[in-house]
Amino acid sequence: MIDWPHWLPLLAVLPLVGGVLTPLLFHRLPNAACFWAASIAALTLAVAVALLVRLLASGGFGYAVGGWLPQYGIELRFDEIGALAVAAGFIALLSLVFSRHYVARAVEPDRAPLYYALVLINLGGLNGFLVTGDLFNLFVFMEIFSVSAYALVAMARAPIAALAALKYLLLGALSSLLVLFSVGVVFAMTGTLNIEDAAVLLDASSAMPAGLALAGLATGFAVKAALFPVHFWLPDAHAAAPAPVSAILSALVVKAGVVGLLRTLELFAGGDDLLQPLLTLIVWLGALGALGGALMALVQRDIKRMLAYSTVANIGYIFIGLGLATASAVSGAMVHSVNHAVMKSALFLAAGAIIHRTGLRNIDDLRGLGRRMPITAFGMAVALIALSGVPPAAGFVGKWQIALGALEAGQPWLVAVLVVAGIVVLAFGVRVINALYFRPPARVPVASAIEVPASMWLPVLLLAVASLALGLAGTPMLAFVGPAVQSVYGTIP
Amino acid sequence: MNGMLSTSWLPLLAIVAPIVGGMLVFRAASWERKAAGFQVVAVCSATTLSVCAFMAYQVSRGHQIELSLLELVPPIRLALRVDAMGALFAMTVASLFVLAQAHAIGYLSNDRRQWAFHGFLLASLGCMIGVALAANLVTLLLFYELFSLLAYPLIVHERTPKAFRAGLKYLIYILSGGALIFSGIVLAYWLAGSVDFLPGGVLPMTAPNSALQTIWCLLVAGFGVKAALMPLHGWVPDAHPAAPAPFSAVLSGVMVAAGVFAIVRVLLEIFGPAMLDQLGVLPWLAGFSGFAIVAAAMLAVAENDLKRRLAYSTISQMAYVSLAATLLHPVALTGALVHITHHAFFKGGLFLCAGSILAVTGLRRISRMRGLGWRMPWTAGTFTLLALAMTGLPPLSGFVGKWTLGTGMAQAGGFGHLAVMLLGSLLAAAYLWPVIYRIWQRPEQDDPLHAGASRDERHERRGWMLFAVLAAGAATVALGVAAGLPGFPLELARMAAEQLLGPSAWK
Repeated sequence: MIDWPHWLPLLAVLPLVGGVLTPLLFHRLPNAACFWAASIAALTLAVAVALLVRLLASGGFGYAVGGWLPQYGIELRFDEIGALAVAAGFIALLSLVFSRHYVARAVEPDRAPLYYALVLINLGGLNGFLVTGDLFNLFVFMEIFSVSAYALVAMARAPIAALAALKYLLLGALSSLLVLFSVGVVFAMTGTLNIEDAAVLLDASSAMPAGLALAGLATGFAVKAALFPVHFWLPDAHAAAPAPVSAILSALVVKAGVVGLLRTLELFAGGDDLLQPLLTLIVWLGALGALGGALMALVQRDIKRMLAYSTVANIGYIFIGLGLATASAVSGAMVHSVNHAVMKSALFLAAGAIIHRTGLRNIDDLRGLGRRMPITAFGMAVALIALSGVPPAAGFVGKWQIALGALEAGQPWLVAVLVVAGIVVLAFGVRVINALYFRPPARVPVASAIEVPASMWLPVLLLAVASLALGLAGTPMLAFVGPAVQSVYGTIP
Repeated sequence: MNGMLSTSWLPLLAIVAPIVGGMLVFRAASWERKAAGFQVVAVCSATTLSVCAFMAYQVSRGHQIELSLLELVPPIRLALRVDAMGALFAMTVASLFVLAQAHAIGYLSNDRRQWAFHGFLLASLGCMIGVALAANLVTLLLFYELFSLLAYPLIVHERTPKAFRAGLKYLIYILSGGALIFSGIVLAYWLAGSVDFLPGGVLPMTAPNSALQTIWCLLVAGFGVKAALMPLHGWVPDAHPAAPAPFSAVLSGVMVAAGVFAIVRVLLEIFGPAMLDQLGVLPWLAGFSGFAIVAAAMLAVAENDLKRRLAYSTISQMAYVSLAATLLHPVALTGALVHITHHAFFKGGLFLCAGSILAVTGLRRISRMRGLGWRMPWTAGTFTLLALAMTGLPPLSGFVGKWTLGTGMAQAGGFGHLAVMLLGSLLAAAYLWPVIYRIWQRPEQDDPLHAGASRDERHERRGWMLFAVLAAGAATVALGVAAGLPGFPLELARMAAEQLLGPSAWK
């Protein structure tokens, strides 16, 4: 059963088909659409888990679409990076479950089926992006998850949402264009679109066309990942989107940019002369992003904007790790991608639950909510503390590994960057926790708020518990991503 | 010492029982289920205390207990180890928390959030035991950060603006300290490939001096924030008066001591005596400690708020320990470790007395406490006893610690150290004697405080508060009179010094 070969295409096809069918089948039945979407997401998760089991048993494997062998046909590959699909399925499922009550209020009722369709299509695009071994498909799946993400941001009722979506769309389209152009350059140079094949054929020593392609791909994916200084679309989009969408965007969609960069590094594995400046640049930009994002998060008053800036900071961490290019730093960055996804989706869902009940987004207005909405507030507090990297929570593993990598790479100043950013993250966490638990209520909606229904608090609680538990699973996760580090960076210290 | 090692789940039980219990207390956090909350607090505190006592007994018989749990990041494990120093500190922590819990039952009896306080206090007990029993720096950091965070709700318990200001200040100090510690640990791990506590140190002698000095500064400054090493003490005089008295007692008695405890661990089990000599960093620590002893004591003399005065006194007293540790002499170290324990009881007891006084009379300022002793004879009597213990009056416990410290310093040739310590003791008498004098003065007849009070109000309340205060007094007497008996702190501290510095150090 596990060895059935067609699981792999199903990972992307299932949610895509399910998503397209949603408005057709359920255009008058938003509730049924939710159950449908959640079931599809659950099935997708099951497929991803089955693939993970096979990966653990026998290592990475490929799939030739339509029986056309790689180099000629389209290849799908499932490797340790692709295993992010498990996290994607898990978080998408919980976000969909969360959406049932949330979307009924936050989105126009007749658009609700469309909303569920777009979430599924987004998941399908992400999964396809994670497992494709083909450059052009990489672009296609990127467009699928990007376009559905633009539409999802615009779904929110607030007038700012359309504007934020437009900003996101313009930046996203530009980055897609860069990626497409670079894929064209690579194809022109090598005559193949298969990533593994192109990596072998690519003459990375020729600075001009190869350098152009590398720059285009790196910039394009950096925009998708919201690396400083091309992050400015993110706070608006993530703050304006409906909360479950913010969770998916912050947890998964920006990580697709990270994965895109990893694939780019895989493609240019031979060209040290080209890669070295890029990696150095990434470290610097990551450091600026980590500090700047954390500081910007500290001064926000809107809770979702605060969380959005914290995503910028964490993407900064991850890029520091990737740029340092030592085994501990890169594996730490990869593990942190997953851990951050879990913690940040817990936070956005908790923020969504609070907004759903009280309509308040300003942190100072949330005073005293801990007593009224105990489970939501608990989830938020736990995830905030985990995010700051206090051991043994999930944030610690990435912070430790990246700091260690910085020392190995001879750049001790980065430890200071990580530590200062960590303090700032804890500072805004404390600010929220203080408001939730230690201040008397100041607003009427808080005083009359009650806990959200189980379909909303259960995802928050599960993700919050996971953000503690993942900290204890640091060692197996680091061991798991080890082969991926080797395949992307070659043998590194 | 023929280190007999054994694996046991007992240390984990001592940590987990109070943490789980703390969560349960939250569930019982309502008036209706007061009995349930009380039972949970009693059972968990008693479990931890008896487990710690058993482990201390085992350690004094020459056993060591180790427990290696899961790996956090390779190859660093969450690991616990019970050695003499850890067992002594764990025992101290567990006993003082029992007193604080008992006192809090009385102190907070009219408080709506009483059981939240008990819950946080119980959970932080578990984390403190974790600090005492940590087998490596990462495990220590883990529990250290946890109890530092848990202390925040306890400090701001009264929800006054003053408490929030103190809490914020505390958090800023402690979180910055935590960040320094984290950097120091990463750097140490990178150099040594291990951050396990090992007598004699783990850092390689071949490492560049500048890197080692950086680690030393990061770790000592980081833990120094908690240990209130001047000039990093800013949070101490604000947090103590803001917190409810039972927590002030814990804060002064063992939480500040946890910082000193960690510094001793770092000095002797991460760096090791040989390397410290080579680095030449110890005079700096001695200088800062000596400055803290004198300066904090002088600030205490000038302070009118009783709890603030006691807080400054804690800064001064804890600096004795770090000062003695810099000598790397077994007798001085024994004195330092035993002083941590004895200080926990007399300073904790003094804070409990201050709490009782505040709860019964509402007085904070020493200048208004005239005649208090005639109104609350038992509390004031115990206060007097504990204050005398702190000044080092034989045969009370403070004398034992100071005598051992002093003889150690003299034997190590640290006469400058000795002079500073004696000056500190003199100043201790100077800031405590006026309090004693004031509370035993005859009240003036027209004193509104006393004239207005009815006959009932004049007398101290009996019950939990008084029990805790008297127990602290009894502990101080017992630790002083019976200090030499086997199983008492002095013996464990001697064993700890031997384990840390090696048998040869005794000459």
